Parts: sequence; structure tokens; C-alpha cells
Amino acid sequence: MGAQKKSATPRVSEDPEDLARNPLQAILLADSFATTFRPITLERPKVLLPLVNIPMIDYTLAWLESAGVEEVFVFCCAHSKQVIDYLESSQWSSKPNFIVTTIESHNSISAGDALRLIYERNVIHGDFVLISGDTVSNMLLTEALQEHRERKKKDANAIMTMVVKQSKPSPITQQSRLGTDELFMAINPVTKQLLCYEDKAEYSKGFISLDKTLIADNPSIILHNDKQDCYIDICSQEVLSLFTDNFDYQHLRRHFVKGLLVDDIMGYKIFTHEIHSSYAARIDNFRSYDTISKDIIQRWTYPFVPDILSGSTAIKVERQGTYRASDVTVSRSADIGSFTFIGQGTKIGNDTKISHSVVGEGCTIGSNVTIEGCYIWNNVTIEDGCQLRHAIVCDGVIMKSGAVLQPGVILSFKVVVGQQFVVPAYSKVSLLQQPTHLDSDEELEYADNTSGTGEPGYKLNGDITPDLSETAYELGAGGVGYIWSVFEGVQDEEWRQSVAPIPTDKLIKLMLEKDEDDEQLTQDGNVFSASGELKADSDDNGSGDDDNEDSGDDYVFFEKEVEATFLRAVNENVKVDHAVLEVNALRLSYNMASVDCAGAIFYSMMKLAVESPHNSASELHKNAADIITKWQKLLKSFLHDIDEEIEVVLKFEEMCLESAREFAALFPQILHLLYDKEILQEDAILKWADEKEGADAADKVFLKHSEKFIQWLKEAEEEDEDE
Amino acid sequence: MHPAVYKVGLQYLSGDIWGGNARCIAMFQAFKEAIKDYSTPPEKTLIRDLTARISSYVSFLIECRPLSNSMGNAIKFLKNRIAKLPLVLSESEAKATLMSDVDRFINEKIIIAEKVIVKHAVTKIRDGDVLLTYGASSVVEMILLHAHELGKQFRVVVVDSRPKLEGQLLLRRLVRKGLSCTYTHVNAVSCIMQEVTRVFLGASSVLSNGTVYSRVGTACVAMVAHAFRVPVLVCCEAYKFHERVQLDSICFNELGNPEAISKVHGREDINYLDGFVNQEKLQLLNLVYDATPSDYISMIITDYGMIPPTSVPVIVREYRREHLWS
Repeated sequence: MGAQKKSATPRVSEDPEDLARNPLQAILLADSFATTFRPITLERPKVLLPLVNIPMIDYTLAWLESAGVEEVFVFCCAHSKQVIDYLESSQWSSKPNFIVTTIESHNSISAGDALRLIYERNVIHGDFVLISGDTVSNMLLTEALQEHRERKKKDANAIMTMVVKQSKPSPITQQSRLGTDELFMAINPVTKQLLCYEDKAEYSKGFISLDKTLIADNPSIILHNDKQDCYIDICSQEVLSLFTDNFDYQHLRRHFVKGLLVDDIMGYKIFTHEIHSSYAARIDNFRSYDTISKDIIQRWTYPFVPDILSGSTAIKVERQGTYRASDVTVSRSADIGSFTFIGQGTKIGNDTKISHSVVGEGCTIGSNVTIEGCYIWNNVTIEDGCQLRHAIVCDGVIMKSGAVLQPGVILSFKVVVGQQFVVPAYSKVSLLQQPTHLDSDEELEYADNTSGTGEPGYKLNGDITPDLSETAYELGAGGVGYIWSVFEGVQDEEWRQSVAPIPTDKLIKLMLEKDEDDEQLTQDGNVFSASGELKADSDDNGSGDDDNEDSGDDYVFFEKEVEATFLRAVNENVKVDHAVLEVNALRLSYNMASVDCAGAIFYSMMKLAVESPHNSASELHKNAADIITKWQKLLKSFLHDIDEEIEVVLKFEEMCLESAREFAALFPQILHLLYDKEILQEDAILKWADEKEGADAADKVFLKHSEKFIQWLKEAEEEDEDE
Repeated sequence: MHPAVYKVGLQYLSGDIWGGNARCIAMFQAFKEAIKDYSTPPEKTLIRDLTARISSYVSFLIECRPLSNSMGNAIKFLKNRIAKLPLVLSESEAKATLMSDVDRFINEKIIIAEKVIVKHAVTKIRDGDVLLTYGASSVVEMILLHAHELGKQFRVVVVDSRPKLEGQLLLRRLVRKGLSCTYTHVNAVSCIMQEVTRVFLGASSVLSNGTVYSRVGTACVAMVAHAFRVPVLVCCEAYKFHERVQLDSICFNELGNPEAISKVHGREDINYLDGFVNQEKLQLLNLVYDATPSDYISMIITDYGMIPPTSVPVIVREYRREHLWS
């Protein structure tokens, strides 16, 4: 914050506009508008879920405060009351230079709705940071903000700066460490403008398509699949009004970003800011919850680490990354392994082993318990002999003795697991029954939230005892809770975003599949390197590989087409303008350059000359001269610069060698003719001569033939200079 | 100059081959090639001419990078072999004998010796140990991996230092094999030493007063370990033992590129010494080795067994008797 103010003062003098500069504002969306954290989010909003024993929103707010943001609008939707209550009772309500204002809404079902509502309130007065309440970061905003402002000053259309970070997705699972799908971004390396944003880039199809104009407009594009979107955006005010204008924008990325990138009428631009050494990540799913928790414990997010953030309760960091609150009762024989967090008031019994886990406050853990890679929230009771591996255990859960959690299990609030019961891997258990209308259809994820927002009042009471009918005893003797059924088809994918590490057998399977795929793809000539080969979105069947191969064939077809067009033009006396139009159309459909056209037209003309009846060389010359004179306009319309003229000469040479040897003798004459008709300029001919100078003798045949002519040209040129 | 020797020399120079054993093996392989292609010029004897030839190769290698003590020993061995060749042997027989001698040396003194050291050292690793190592020693790496294969439960602390950061290579290999590791720089060694139970170090050479001559920074690690009462085990093949006595690191050492310590890789913003390097009053001292006094070493593990540093002269004596004078 200090830096902000300091940098502001000197600028005031030089830029009077900045005098009225507003304090930096931020919009924090305290709702993910997604269902990935169900069933937990049915009872508590995602932003209040503890991340290493501190609610996620605290990390976000603490970062915003440190980054110099002075006013934050927290947009609450689902469970809004809980969020508001929390914020009011927390330290954030009483910070002197950091105002946290809540905006409540019950009928917003997406980020788009939220921003529209905020726009209506008219509270944002300048650039703002758009972030969701589940983002952990320690980056410095000043640099990105500066970049954004300077860009904005130069180009009013640069309305958004997206923060990205290097992150290499696993080649096997095609997903990042955070469990998000592989993301493809096309970025202009010089201006850092974002040109294309493709998450889950139809990888199955093996290609992504880029608009051809992108390649035409930008001198260079880098296509990344090794960047992670941090979901921290620096936006200008226009962003809000854009959302209002486009009432169908819902999702920030899927609709808004893609919409802007596609829309070239308004010309709005998005830029990226890459961070290198600092941390930024968003908790999108259970896997990222796991990853980010570990990162926090390993202090990549410093200074936002538990021992500094949790102000009141003293937490000490011990060796090997063990965090321990002050009044923890741990049996002497218990083994607290590395990278473990033990919250206040927790009791741990004899011979219990805990490693790589977070244990919240007020938990009671019995003897001979094994806990590995688990996230145990507050007031959980785990009786003797339980085994927990890679699970999330919410507040108030009771695990009776001998119960076992297999990897990937989620136990929602107050679930009771019966004695000796084994909860199968990847199951989600809640006291609430699974909503029947939950379709798991991603497109409906906004709609789903209506249910979330509709019920908060009833959930807030906390003492809801859902009628636990007989079916509630799915969890063994004395157990309470429903095991949510997994949807067909989703089941296979469950491991992808679970808290549990990806099982090795899955990895092996995927690896094998991938190998097979690769083989198949290579056989089809269809393989794409991971870096993403570009494919011009015009033609045919092709992938990059056979593009190269059939570009030769393409040219042959193209030449034939041009020839046919030309002959038709000659026979039917088509106007030259029309012929130009037709050839141009062919050029576009075959994706050729005008060089190719010039070559092809000239070829057709000469071929016609050869094929028309003639008895002697002089007659042939006459034929050629007639045709050239008649159709020179057609040819000229494709001769924009010297390269194309050289192409004509080369083509002619090639013909003389291969298809129309009769011309060989006439080469200098026709060259002269072309020069006279101003089809070829002397520069082109001389350049051609220069190029050929270095070639071997066989190639020089025609150069020799036309030596005289070239000599004459050179002399003429010198004379010109003399004058 | 034989091309194989030339190639090895350039590889030394560019730093492609580093580490005592690797350098020694590379040198011997090159010499083997050279011997294979050797033919005695007329009016000269093989014994004299080949010795001179080898000497010229060695002086070339020294130009590329100073020899280590271990290489000195190896060269001494080879020259001794040449000198001891029976005169009755034909040229091809002599060459064959020499080549097999070279192979035997590499095999016995380096490869098998390493295995024997690993076998001895593994007995010193217990479950629950926290082992600290400094830099990247090939023998220590083998010990750690072998202990891991045996299913011992231990942690490794890899301590590293600029500018070479070789520890990162070791760390990479260890982590890939599934060992749990901690990585830190030598600045933090006093902090991390509290939790360490054993220190395993490699050595470039062990001198006859028990001083261990090794990668710069080793002495510091050994001294810190000594202060924390953590046993320091030095793993070193017997062919690297040398009869010289050295009391400090300055009197005999190798100087590295001073540029390497004035710049920080990947941090262009640290450029305080730019344009300062040639100042008369500034000396950038990038030592490659240092000498650890024997007081700080609990035990030396070698192919002859585990010995206290005071017993080094015995090994040196026996080794010489066995290989040089026999």
C-alpha cells in the first residue's frame, strides 16, 4: 500500500488527470458459481472452507490488502449470510485503510450476473482487480497495474490484464498440478496480447484452430500450453459495462474472455502479465485444494502462511514443515511427520501416525490412527485404529473405531462413520441427500446454484436434522450420512480432480493409451506436437503433416484450374476483369499466394501458345506475342512486386526445360517481349540473372541465351544513370 | 597428440567431465585408445618411448585442467606398469598387457572399490536416520540408493553451494528414485545440522596426515557436523589416497573461474561487480577444493574397510607396496 501511495505522489505533478485518481478497488466474488466442491458447499460457502485451518477468503483478502487495494467489494451469493457474518466478526471489518463492503444477491447465478449487479450499483470508479474468493497469491500488483495503466493510456481498448504463471501440465494426464485441464493460450510475445484462450482445447480432436487473421495480423505468436491462468484480472471499468451490454455473458472465461477475443467489432484487447517467482493459484477443485494446501505448508505463498496469518492463536513452525498450535496435546509415542499442521486444542493419542496432513482445531484423535495426506477440519473425532488416506473430513465428523477412509473420500459436515466401516475410494458422504436434479451437466452449473441460494436460510440454522431414514445407515453400524452416488461416466474421471494422488495404475493405463494414440496418430499422419502446430483454418482434411505433402499436389490442381479458367476465358471471350476475379477466387480457395497465380497464368498462356497451330519458330513467337498482348492485363494484375515477376521468369525457364521445349530457342525473344510489354521490369530480369549467376552450368543455359539482352538492359540502366 | 586424449582434454576444459572417478576413467580410456594405436618408432624402445608419449599426454591434460591427486596416482600406476614390462615381450603383447592393466585398474580400483565402499557404508545407515551429504559424490549417491533399495527408512539432506550447484543433479536423481530429500545451501548448514544423524561426504583425495581434500565447502560442513557431534563419514576409494601432507587449502589448490562467483546465474539484477572485476585491489577467489583436517572426520570408508583418519598412512603404504613397487 505504501508503494502505491509513493508512486502516486510524484505522478500527480506530471499528469493532472491522475489527480482525481481513485483508490484501487477490487471485486471479490465470494461464490464460485460451480459445484465442484459439493457436497461440502451445500452447507458452507466455498470461500469459508478452511485452507490449512484458515478460511480461503482470508488469504485472498490478506493478499489484496498487501497488494495495495483499498476497497474491496465482496459479492456474496450462495450462503451470503454466512459470508457476511464471518466478515463482520473478522478482523477485516475494522481495518483502517482497507474497506470491505459486502454486496448481497440471491438471484445471481453466475459471475456475469454478479458483475452486472455491481455495475448497477455504480460503485466502481476506475481500474479494479477482479478475483474470486478462493485465490491464493503473494504477487506484487504494482508492476502489473502499472503495465495495465500505461497500456490503457496508449490504447483505450486494452481493458483487461490477465495474470498467468508458468505451469507445465503433465504429459500423461493432460492436466496441470492444480487438476485443471490443459490450457492453450496464444500470446503475442512482444505486446503480451492474448489472442486465443482455449481450455480443454478439444485435445481429443488433436488440434486447435486459430483464426487465420491472427497469424496475418501478428508478426509472431507463441502458443502456450504451459501457462496457468491465475484468475487474477486487472480490469478497466469498461469490463463491467461490457457485461451489462452482453447480458448472455455468464462465465468469466468461457463467455467473456472468449467473447472479447472473437469480437473484432469493438476491438477490445486482453493482455497477459506473467509472474515468475511469486505465487498465484485458484482453488478450482479438490486436487487444487490439496496442491495449494501443500504449497502453503511448504511456504511458497509466504508471507501468507498459517503462522503469520493466524493472528491470535500462536502457531509455531517446527522442523520439516510441521506447524503446531500452542496447546496441542500429543502423546509421546505419536509420530507427527513432515509437512503437517496441528490446530489448537487438538489431542492426539498413542502410536498415532500423521504425515502430510492438516488437522484442524479441537479434534480428538485416538490411538493407533494412521492419517496420511488428509485434511481434517475442526472438532472432528477419530477413534482408535482408524485409517485415513488422502481424504477431506469436514467439521464435526465422528469416525468410530476401526473405520477406514480410502483415498479420495470426502466426508461432509457431521457425518458419522460406523465401526470398522470402510468408506470406498472417491465417495462423497453428506448428511444431506444428493439433490436429484443435479445433472452434473457442466452447462447447467449456473442453474444449479439456484438451489444453493434458495436454501441458505434453512441451512444456516445449523441444527437441521435431515430425516435420517433407514437409508442413512449406509455408513455401517452407528453411521449417519448418505453416500452420494457417482454419476455414470463421471466415475472414471473421479480420480482426476480428487484430493488423492493419481493412482499409479491409472497413470500406467493412461501412458499406454497415450502411446497407442500416438502410434495411431502417427500412422494417420495426424499427430500434433504438444506445442501445437498451427493449422490454417482454410482447407481440407488435413493436419499439419499432410499439409506439407499435399501442398505440392495442391499446386498442380491449382495450376490445372487456372489453366482451365484461362482457356475458357480465351474461348468465350470473357472480360479480363472477370478472369482476374475468377483466378483470385481460385487463389483463395486453394490458399495460394499471388506468386503462384502469376506462375500459373503465365504457364497457361504459354501452353496455349504452344498448342495453337504453328509451323515455325517465328509463328510460335507470333502466337505467344498475340496471347501476351491480349492477356497482359490479366497477368499484370498478379504481378505486384518483383518476386512475382521473377517467378514468371523462373516458370518460363522451367517450361522451356520441361513441358514446352519449343520455346527454348525463343527464350530471349519472349523475355524481350515481356519486357517491352512492361510485364517484367528490368530489375526483375537482372535479379533473376544475378540469382542464376551462381548456379551450375546446366541451369545457366537460358542465361547464356539471353546474355545479349541482359547486357543491353544493363547498359541501358547505366545510361539512365549517366543521364 | 592422440585424438582420444585431445577429446578428453577438451571435455575437461569445458567441464563436461567432472568428478574424480569420471575424470580418471575418461583419462584411462583415452590412454587405452592411445596405446592401442601406438606403434614404436624405429630405433626406439617401447618402454621409453611410450612413457615419454604418456608424459606428453599428461602435460596436455594438465594444461586443460590440473590433475587431481587420484589421477596422479593412476598415471603413476600406468607408468610403473610400462617400466616393469618384461623386455622379452613383443610390441603387440606389451600393448595387450598394458591395456588389460588399464582395464583392471578401472575395474578393481574404481568400480569394485565403489561397490565395496557401498557395502561397508550401508551398515552405518539405520532406520530413521537423517543423512546429510554435500555436493554430488558418486559413491555417496550409490550408498544412498542402495540403502533405499534395501528398504531402510531414512531422509536425505542435500547441501549444495554456488557456483556449481552440483547438488541439484544429485537431488534430481535421488528424488526420482523416491527418496525423501531436503535441499538447502551451505549457508544454512548450521541450521539443518540439528536434525542430521550422519554426514556422508565424498573426497577428491585423502592425504597421509588424514586430511581430506575435497570439494570446497566440505571442510565447513564437516566442522559444523563436528560441533553438533554428528559423525562425519568420508567415502573414498583407496586409489585416491596420497602420501602428500597438506595443512591448509591454499598451498595447493585449483582456481576456478572468478567470473563464476561474481555473477549469479539467473539473477541479472545482481550486477554489483560489473566492471569491477579488473580492479587492482579486488581479488575474486574461487577455490575448487579445500582441506578438512582429520580432527573433524570420524571415519573414512574405503575399499580396504572402515578406518580412522589416523590409519591413512597404513593404507598409503600398503597400497604403494601392492601396486607401485610390486
